Amino acid sequence: MVVQALAFYLFASILVLSAFFVITARNPVHSVLFLILSFFNAAGLFVLLGAEFIALTLVIVYVGAVAVLFLFVVMMLDISFADLRKGAMQYVPMGLVIGAIILTELVMLFGAWQFAPGAGQNLAVPVVELVDVTNTEALGQVLYTNYVLAFQVAGLILFIAMIGAIVLTHRRRPGIRRQVVSKQQAVRGEDVIEIRKVTTGTGA
Amino acid sequence: MLELWTTYGIWTAMTLMYIGIIVGCVLTAVAYLTYAERKVMSAMQRRQGPMTVGPFGLLQPIADGIKLFSKETIIPSQANKIVFLLAPMLLFALALMAWAVIPFDKGWVLANINVGILYLVAISSMMVYGVIMAGWASNSQYAFLGALRSAAQMVSYEVSMGLIIVCVVLVTGSLNLQDIVEVHRPIWVQIMLLPMLVVFLISILAETNRAPFDLPEGESEITGGYMVEYSAMAFALFFLGEYSAMIMMSAMTTILFLGGWLPPFGIEALAFVPGIIWFALKTAGVLFFFIWSRATLPRFRYDQLMRLGWKIFLPLTLGWVVLVSGMLITFDALP
Amino acid sequence: MIGFNLIPLLPEIFLALTGMGLLIVGLNITKEGRGKEAAEIVSWTSCASYALAFVVLLGISWQPQIVLNGMFKLDQFAGFVKLLILLGMMTSLALSVRFIKDEGFARIEYPILITFAGIGMMIMVSASNLLTLYMGLELQSLSLYVLASFNRNSLRSSEAGIKYFLLGALSSGLLLFGISLIYGFTGSIDYGAIQATLMVLQDIPFGVTFGLVFMLAGLAFKVSAVPFHMWTPDVYQGAPTSVTAFFALVPKLAAMALLTRLLFEPFSALSEQWGQIIYFISVASMMVGAFAAIGQENIKRLMAYSSIGNMGYALIGLAVGTQMGVSALLIYLLIYMVMTAGTFAIIMSMRRDGRAYENISDLSGMSQTNPVLAYCLAILMFSMSGIPPLAGFFGKLFIFEAAVAGEFYVLAVLGVLSSVVAAYYYLRIVKVMFFDEAGDAFEGGLPFARRLILCLSIVFVLGFILKPGVFIASTQGAVAALFAG
Repeated sequence: MVVQALAFYLFASILVLSAFFVITARNPVHSVLFLILSFFNAAGLFVLLGAEFIALTLVIVYVGAVAVLFLFVVMMLDISFADLRKGAMQYVPMGLVIGAIILTELVMLFGAWQFAPGAGQNLAVPVVELVDVTNTEALGQVLYTNYVLAFQVAGLILFIAMIGAIVLTHRRRPGIRRQVVSKQQAVRGEDVIEIRKVTTGTGA
Repeated sequence: MLELWTTYGIWTAMTLMYIGIIVGCVLTAVAYLTYAERKVMSAMQRRQGPMTVGPFGLLQPIADGIKLFSKETIIPSQANKIVFLLAPMLLFALALMAWAVIPFDKGWVLANINVGILYLVAISSMMVYGVIMAGWASNSQYAFLGALRSAAQMVSYEVSMGLIIVCVVLVTGSLNLQDIVEVHRPIWVQIMLLPMLVVFLISILAETNRAPFDLPEGESEITGGYMVEYSAMAFALFFLGEYSAMIMMSAMTTILFLGGWLPPFGIEALAFVPGIIWFALKTAGVLFFFIWSRATLPRFRYDQLMRLGWKIFLPLTLGWVVLVSGMLITFDALP
Repeated sequence: MIGFNLIPLLPEIFLALTGMGLLIVGLNITKEGRGKEAAEIVSWTSCASYALAFVVLLGISWQPQIVLNGMFKLDQFAGFVKLLILLGMMTSLALSVRFIKDEGFARIEYPILITFAGIGMMIMVSASNLLTLYMGLELQSLSLYVLASFNRNSLRSSEAGIKYFLLGALSSGLLLFGISLIYGFTGSIDYGAIQATLMVLQDIPFGVTFGLVFMLAGLAFKVSAVPFHMWTPDVYQGAPTSVTAFFALVPKLAAMALLTRLLFEPFSALSEQWGQIIYFISVASMMVGAFAAIGQENIKRLMAYSSIGNMGYALIGLAVGTQMGVSALLIYLLIYMVMTAGTFAIIMSMRRDGRAYENISDLSGMSQTNPVLAYCLAILMFSMSGIPPLAGFFGKLFIFEAAVAGEFYVLAVLGVLSSVVAAYYYLRIVKVMFFDEAGDAFEGGLPFARRLILCLSIVFVLGFILKPGVFIASTQGAVAALFAG
């Protein structure tokens, strides 16, 4: 138990710290790197909860794919945060006021938090008995049955995102020669090479 | 205190010892992989290769190591120092971390986790950060170009690698690497997986930035890519990380497709040879493929590389996942 | 597994499959170098597929049933609203075909995105689980963000898209935060379970109300109700007119239906709490819609404020919280949809020398240059402002009637007052057309689809008084299902 607790505090404190650095770092690339660190620590927390599948999926998807592209864009754009922040200072008082209001509300909310009497019963409805299946199997058992609609709609959403990205950015530039392998393969020697008899001394 | 020692201490000490053994073996393997590479390539090109240091040049890797140790590490003045130094360390650490879940023989594994294969994918997908960070922190155009190329390339080929792994996992019904090796695969399943082995071999070339997909380094175009500003130990770490990733990918191929520590083709008569020997031999075979393709194939052009990844491998592997799962259901062969 | 029955989802599945199939077909036609033609073919085929989905929807049973582990519910209410959604999709796509061709961004993705937005809306209407709700909402919103910036060569269109996207993402965040609070409190995201859990409570704890407020804020954004309306004018103005027409016709209907089901099914026990919120939103929307529209010069912007105001009236029906109120809400939305379709058919026809015009002053003297269009627009504007025998009058009448019957006198009076103010700017358009000096004529010769839709809209507006019973009966039938359980 001691080890678990230590690991929890380690992951949690690094997570919070790196999340803090995400918003305070002066260099946007550093921000993204801290973001990645916080993803990683969140995955660590999942491992502690025994949800190893989710933890590794988090690493593969967020750290391995999403954040790479994010980092890619941030590096390419070369944004200067200092310039962006110039105008931002005037909104700070307003932001602080709103933040303070929401914070008070949340404190009130969680201070007086109580669960509905039926909540425990709702939560207790067993999804899958986690006795003799790994959590990967358990996830698979509900994902494609109980939540098949949500799963399919999520697929459609990603599909739309793809169509949207192509519609908004893809341009067919004129004058670019594309490689068409089948065409290259179809070329015959006689189509492109002509053998001529050259008579010596005539120059042609 | 004694109780604490018996519960955690012994375990920790043992684990540390195992880690030490694995790291030692991997590093030696890396050293002699470079030697093997030079020897194999020279044999293919009708020349001698390293000859002078030690018998048959066997001490050459050690001499190289000493050379790199004793050189001066140069940090460019305009570089982002922390990230610049962090990048090679990250790459190297990740390349070693992956070995934690590799089973060398039945039960010979440091961490036998349920989702071992996902762990390997996660580690290999994080390797790209070492490259990107190096390219960005060097503050040099060549390095940056190399980093961008590498990021795009690794992300692209990871997709089809993931789908191939899904095929294998469908067949074996487990994400645990030991189970993947041990589950019996009928002959027709093995034949079904054969095309995926070919695609996987090509993909790991791209994933490890090796020839003919070594565009991130591309010494003739971008003079070494993301490593252009690195020297001495920092460079050595990149080098070690990259070669250890190569060995790791070969081990992964062995586990996924070649039956790990089991004797080849299920020949019982060969079972007397220890499993680790088979494992090492199979891995060495895949490594030979790495070297062989480096010596024979010219470098791809960038658009050809992307075309291969997205337009050929992705549809092919995706279709194969559907095919394999369909076949498994039709013949009621789901594990 | 429980309730694996895909029959109630047939229209959605059909649309999704045709959408994907048409994308492939369209891409192949485009590849042959016939891009313009491809867009036209795919558009009309999509229209036909909406009509087919309409038929399929009519063909399946609307007896209330919950399928797929409680994720999806088809009942008379959902069926009726889905019919309206399909009609709206058909109308707006038919209106767009010529427009996108004239404006030079005819691409096959346009109808495909409309199809998927439609699927999202149909799922929203049928949601009976907070997860389905969110998924449907995101599918719809994502398609709409892309559509808003579809004319990517226009700076305004891109700006509209990015504005819509950023604010939309914020509102989704609020919605999700609300959902998580609700889940945390009740332990479920299923409508039925939430309702059952909340039903037995003596007094409503703070946490649930808090979650509900966040959810309502997120949804108010989607129906563009004040104080979450800021995006509407900019997006309406910036997006291509055909897209604006789509925005005005369908998504708000779907969001309103979603809101209705949410409030009357899982949160029926909290009617006191949400009643006040809806009351406030409704009054604020009516007022902003009426007063802010007065100074507008751009007709698309004007339509945006008009829609904000109209959502305010529609929300009265919800605030009242009776069966009568909700059926008045449905009929109001139906009438508003028909009037908007006609109005946008005319706005799209404001073209001169191959360019689209959008200012109210461009309409000046239209009665002399394009008399038919001018009279049609005048009829529609009279109807919008609620002049008696026209359809728009009845829409408002039913709403106010429901308010009075539910003893919400103040709300009814405020509604009447704001509609008097709103009448000013509708009638100003009529004044500009009939009494201002004539400018150049707009291009004559409306395309067939536009002419047909305009005709139908005018006939509906004029003829509603003859047979109002048909519509009232069907909306009442639809709403009865909502109050049965």
